[in-house]
Amino acid sequence: MTKKKNCYAGKILRLDLTTGSFTTESFGPKQTDLFVGGRGVASKVLYDEVPPEVKPFDPENRLIFSPGALHGTGAPSASRTTVTTRSPLTGMHGDGHAGATWGGELKRAGYDLLIIQGKAEKPVYLLIDDDKLELRDAGALWGNFTSKTHAKLCRELGDHELCTISIGPAGENLVRLAAVFHNGSDKGTSARCGLGAVMGSKNLKAIATRGTGDVGVADIPALKSAYQDYLDTIEVDPYCPPATKYGTCRFMMHRVKFGIHGAENWRYGEYDWHKLDPEVFRSDYQVKAGACVACPVRCRRDYRITSGPFAGTTAKVEWETIARSMTCGIKDPESVIAWSNICNQYGLDIEGTGDTVAFAMECFEKGIFTEKDTDGLDLRFGNVEAYLELTRKIALREGKLADILAEGTKRAAKKIGQGSEKFAIHVKGGEMTAGDPRGMPVRAVSYATSTRGGDHLRSNPYIEEIMTPEEALEWWGSEEAADISKGLKGKGRMLKFSEDLVTIGDILGLCKFAFYRSATFPYLYKKGVHIATRLYNACSGRNLTEQEMLQTGERTWNIEKAYNTRCGATRADDDIPERFFKEPLKGGGPSGGAVVERDKFDKILDEYYEARKFNPSSGLPTRAGLEGLGLHDIADDLEKRGKLGA
Amino acid sequence: MAKKKRVVYSNRPWEATGICSGCKLCELWCSLAKNGAFNPRRSRIRIVELGTGVDVPVTCQQCQDPACQAACRFEAIVYDEKLKIVVVDEEKCTGCRACVGACPYGIIAMDPATHKAIKCDLCNGEEPVCVSICPSNVLALVDDVEAGEINRRRFATLLASDDQIQRSMPGGEEPIQKKLEKRG
Repeated sequence: MTKKKNCYAGKILRLDLTTGSFTTESFGPKQTDLFVGGRGVASKVLYDEVPPEVKPFDPENRLIFSPGALHGTGAPSASRTTVTTRSPLTGMHGDGHAGATWGGELKRAGYDLLIIQGKAEKPVYLLIDDDKLELRDAGALWGNFTSKTHAKLCRELGDHELCTISIGPAGENLVRLAAVFHNGSDKGTSARCGLGAVMGSKNLKAIATRGTGDVGVADIPALKSAYQDYLDTIEVDPYCPPATKYGTCRFMMHRVKFGIHGAENWRYGEYDWHKLDPEVFRSDYQVKAGACVACPVRCRRDYRITSGPFAGTTAKVEWETIARSMTCGIKDPESVIAWSNICNQYGLDIEGTGDTVAFAMECFEKGIFTEKDTDGLDLRFGNVEAYLELTRKIALREGKLADILAEGTKRAAKKIGQGSEKFAIHVKGGEMTAGDPRGMPVRAVSYATSTRGGDHLRSNPYIEEIMTPEEALEWWGSEEAADISKGLKGKGRMLKFSEDLVTIGDILGLCKFAFYRSATFPYLYKKGVHIATRLYNACSGRNLTEQEMLQTGERTWNIEKAYNTRCGATRADDDIPERFFKEPLKGGGPSGGAVVERDKFDKILDEYYEARKFNPSSGLPTRAGLEGLGLHDIADDLEKRGKLGA
Repeated sequence: MAKKKRVVYSNRPWEATGICSGCKLCELWCSLAKNGAFNPRRSRIRIVELGTGVDVPVTCQQCQDPACQAACRFEAIVYDEKLKIVVVDEEKCTGCRACVGACPYGIIAMDPATHKAIKCDLCNGEEPVCVSICPSNVLALVDDVEAGEINRRRFATLLASDDQIQRSMPGGEEPIQKKLEKRG
């Protein structure tokens, strides 16, 4: 075995499921020079190989697995793997990220990138055992829960340390809210954009992976010093201790502070949250402070219910699980844990499913459908039984209503009609996540500009909360940018920076909670740009500057934007649902009565387009912008298709 | 002469952050220290996953009369009297795996690259990497007396009932109250 010189394995593995053939290509400067790894490289492959004529469920669509460049090393929180495809939910660029061990195992088996195309005739699973590559019959796995699939594969291959990727029944049934699961149900999920449905459409149930090779490091002393610097920073950054103590449930206090719960299908800012207090989760249900691989922050949480109707249930719960439950009017922790378990076992994206169930509940409240349409389910907000049962039915497409909802909020609203489009909460077809944007204009714009549909992890507009006016003046040219509700100037530039910033995390495989959230802007920059760049240089042996690293993020963003443009997206698609502009936030509290003001929204979006060098009226990328990032081929392609902005 | 030491899992279950988080940084950084590259399968400490949320680090206990040594027909495993550790002589090791089966703790592994037996050598008696990297602070380098205390506590935990332990933990009262409420 030759010694690995850096953190790259050096090969791409391509599998054509139609013919069952494997090919390997080299992975090197051609990919890494401009895109480094992870989400960057995958976005480029998607652009090059999946033109707009290829529909999401076509065999020619690609499913691309790309571990972050640092995944597999011991760099702090380097645990993220990106799964990319043309999304069946948005019809545009789609990806999902998970913190687990599978991506590192793929690299140890010798591959930086796994590209899957074609469609198998019958259910199969892929075995990657170092050099041994095999497609095996998955008849016995089909229909199984994610955790069972993982356990069966471990047993079949006689290895408790086996790493797996799998889909649940939801993915098999082409539910557009289906996710891709790493190592069973609770270890990590590439959730958004209906990735699981694309995997199901290819008849691929699972990928079992074993890799025994090394992941190298170019400069060990430099890695050690950057690691130590990271530890020193999180020790003084007040952001981290609550993350370690409560996990991501700690974000409850943030939502309470601003009154932006968005409960009952994005209507109530204040809500009865007291039973969902992070302290309740910690003292009554927490198993321990868990961690994704290589992460010293430890904000992963498994919760166990010891008594009551759900006794014996253990499930991973993130803040989003709680937030989406509140969107459905759920107010108690045990229902949240039980629901998380159902979503994870059946293979659903918690965020998309939560919003879709909430949408159905509002239809029911408004009398658009009755118990006759719901097969007897009383879909009132807060009805735990209906909320769990409808989720299960969506995964199985059981009954007429669940079959419609399994298409996601946007398509369901179109089918149901009767004015329901007005309260279908999605951006570009992707359901919205996290907190309510009313009263926070830049956050509203950040949902709109996200390249994978409504999403809070695509940028970090929260930096307005942690910046001082002096910092805002220095960075965005205006003190106003640090003012959350009233400021306008500088916010577009701030949003652009924050998008580039968090994209670095997806490229390197670093966690957004460990690197891209902080209590102050200097700590955020130090972790997210300075230390991240040092870690990458140490592991890869390259010598990128911080500016070049940020530019890699920007380049990746532009590729995704160009991809969406090619699929037909324009400025009109960079918008959020009407509800946020027209209906004041209910329930009182700090943001009670707030709306997103259209003129403010437009002004920030204008400034954002200008900072991104997109055409402000059409929202399309321009030649100047793309060529400035070295993307000449993309500019040519868009011009040929008549999609280049003036 | 050095005192006999070993790396142990010194968890403190009464603090959530005092339990192994399963981050596997110890595995990754052990393999880096030993081979100059990251590879959990070449680590001398391993995290065993026993189920959701149950991760346990295990490594060599540096037995004084080691079963691995007795099983080795090539005199490749010796007890270093000076450092008080059990070491594998890579030159002599033939990769026959007899020691792997003999170790009562199952902590000897085969290196996937060299096909020789590998085990913890306490980083030659210096500060072991796993202990210093552990973010949860649950790995400790202890001598016989400290190991005895930890073992005594663990043995007592086995003897006590779950209910008894749960009631004695801070925050443990509430679930029981709730249970009673539900029973009416």
